[in-house]
Amino acid sequence: MAKVLMKGNEAIGEAAIRAGCLNYFAYPITPQSEVAEYLVRRLPEVGGVFLQGESEVAVGYMIFGAAGAGVRVFTTSSSPGISLMSEAISYIAAAQCPAVFVNIMRGGPGLGGILPSQADYLQATKGIGHGDCRLLVMAPASVQEAVEMVMKAFPLAEKYRNPVMILGDGLIGQMMEPVEFPDQLKTEPSNKDAWATNGMDHRKSKTRNLVKSLFLDPVQLNDNNLALKAKYDRMRAEEVMSESYNTDGDYKGLIVSYGTMSRVCRTAIDMLKTEGIDVGMIRPQTVFPFPEKAVAEAAMKPSCMHVLSIEMSMGQMIEDVERSVKGRIPVSWYGKCGGDIPTPEEVIDVVRERIA
Amino acid sequence: MELELSGIVIIVGAYGSGKTEIAINLAVHMHAKGTAVRLADLDLVNPYFRTREARHALNRLGIDVVLPPLQYMQADLPILTPEVAGMLRHPSGLTLLDVGGDDVGATVLAALADPMKGKTIQVLQVINPNRPYTDTVSGCLKMRKSIEAKAKMAITGIIGNANLMEDTTEQDILAGYAFSRKVSEAGNLPLIFITTPAALLTRLDKKDIHCPVLALRRQLVPPWKRAEALVPSG
Repeated sequence: MAKVLMKGNEAIGEAAIRAGCLNYFAYPITPQSEVAEYLVRRLPEVGGVFLQGESEVAVGYMIFGAAGAGVRVFTTSSSPGISLMSEAISYIAAAQCPAVFVNIMRGGPGLGGILPSQADYLQATKGIGHGDCRLLVMAPASVQEAVEMVMKAFPLAEKYRNPVMILGDGLIGQMMEPVEFPDQLKTEPSNKDAWATNGMDHRKSKTRNLVKSLFLDPVQLNDNNLALKAKYDRMRAEEVMSESYNTDGDYKGLIVSYGTMSRVCRTAIDMLKTEGIDVGMIRPQTVFPFPEKAVAEAAMKPSCMHVLSIEMSMGQMIEDVERSVKGRIPVSWYGKCGGDIPTPEEVIDVVRERIA
Repeated sequence: MELELSGIVIIVGAYGSGKTEIAINLAVHMHAKGTAVRLADLDLVNPYFRTREARHALNRLGIDVVLPPLQYMQADLPILTPEVAGMLRHPSGLTLLDVGGDDVGATVLAALADPMKGKTIQVLQVINPNRPYTDTVSGCLKMRKSIEAKAKMAITGIIGNANLMEDTTEQDILAGYAFSRKVSEAGNLPLIFITTPAALLTRLDKKDIHCPVLALRRQLVPPWKRAEALVPSG
């Protein structure tokens, strides 16, 4: 397919269709409403269904219902809307159903503002809802990468029978970039006979599938949590993705940054290089599981004196960066969280002050 | 071929077709030719990448930009400032309206029917064949119909904007020109001008292009890129 010019939000909608997901339930909120805007027109063309819920709480449970019935399903929202869905996300994780949630983050807390933010990092990566639940979380830095991650998200959700989240800042949703779509994937979850409540007729098994998150027996509940933990450990072993930039040679400092913020850092690194100052960067592509090993190895380069966690939040990812570096060299935070994205010049100033 | 526009010019088109970049660059182009230009940001539907983000660059050149009040500038509220009606009642050399995308974005025009009554107005539809839903002639004509219905105004001309941002090639521009001609013929609307990224302007083989070409210098860029310097395209 030829390249087209698309807004991130539109491309996310199209990518879900290409991934064989024809069920989309959502509630509008800036800055992700264009996903619904796009899909309300596009889904009927491919025999899909878009339903607007009466709230994000309702949408969360519509996703749970569809996931439990064994169909590919996804939703998109922005920060406050994701908070409202977080109860359902915990239920879906507990009941081990696959679903994809996209959070196009805006400024918070509270209603905050409509401009880009990365301030839902802790919410997304440290459990989101109540109980011991985790999401596999991928953070795209371009419209093309958002497409690829959305397409990966559905098979991963099915592999783990667990919700997967795409964590994009507002800019990912709103900016336009040329983008290419790969071919269509399969339309049905591959392993659904093991868990979907879609009737007994076509199945060989005589056991009924039951979608539930209530385990009153403490042994059963503990067993369920152990099963979930085993899945999260497997994600840590098998799904970590990160990209390194300017880390081949020596560098005095290391930046850890993700999403569109990492693109600002990349420009800053290029500009610093022309002045003879080398800074490396690790860009987490999965933020849960976090690329601990990649960050630790890059920080342990003998020339590296300092690690900077640069994020559009008041210092959230830095907790994972510190956990990775384990106190071996200093780690500090820089960021903004009002909607103004730090410029390459601001990043350069911080590097000069703390590293160069 | 020289691009000359004056009076009230309203830029409409599909969502993401490039209306705002065109409005900004057109304002700069006509201002450089000595025309008094006022540009109003009427995008009531888009939350980011609006004309208002280029206001400082435009103000520095002496181009008047009509915007919602400062305290509401970053809101996702459909604010129509009364100044817009005023500028339409007393149009200057070029009074340019940058309207939001699709029929939804054009709805605001129906609310401005009164101040525009009895005036000659050009309503120009931007078409980008590299965007979903306007990649066919029938798609562009369908968009035209839906915009006209909501705006309660007739579209009077076409602007061809075949850009793919940094991936745009001369071939894209030439193919886009041919596409714009087809839409122009099928819709019985004049092709007013086409655009090209400024960087491609000198390399572009213009011998087969029979309409003016506006050079675009991108203003609404993400924070890791720099806006191109706004200079007259001449």
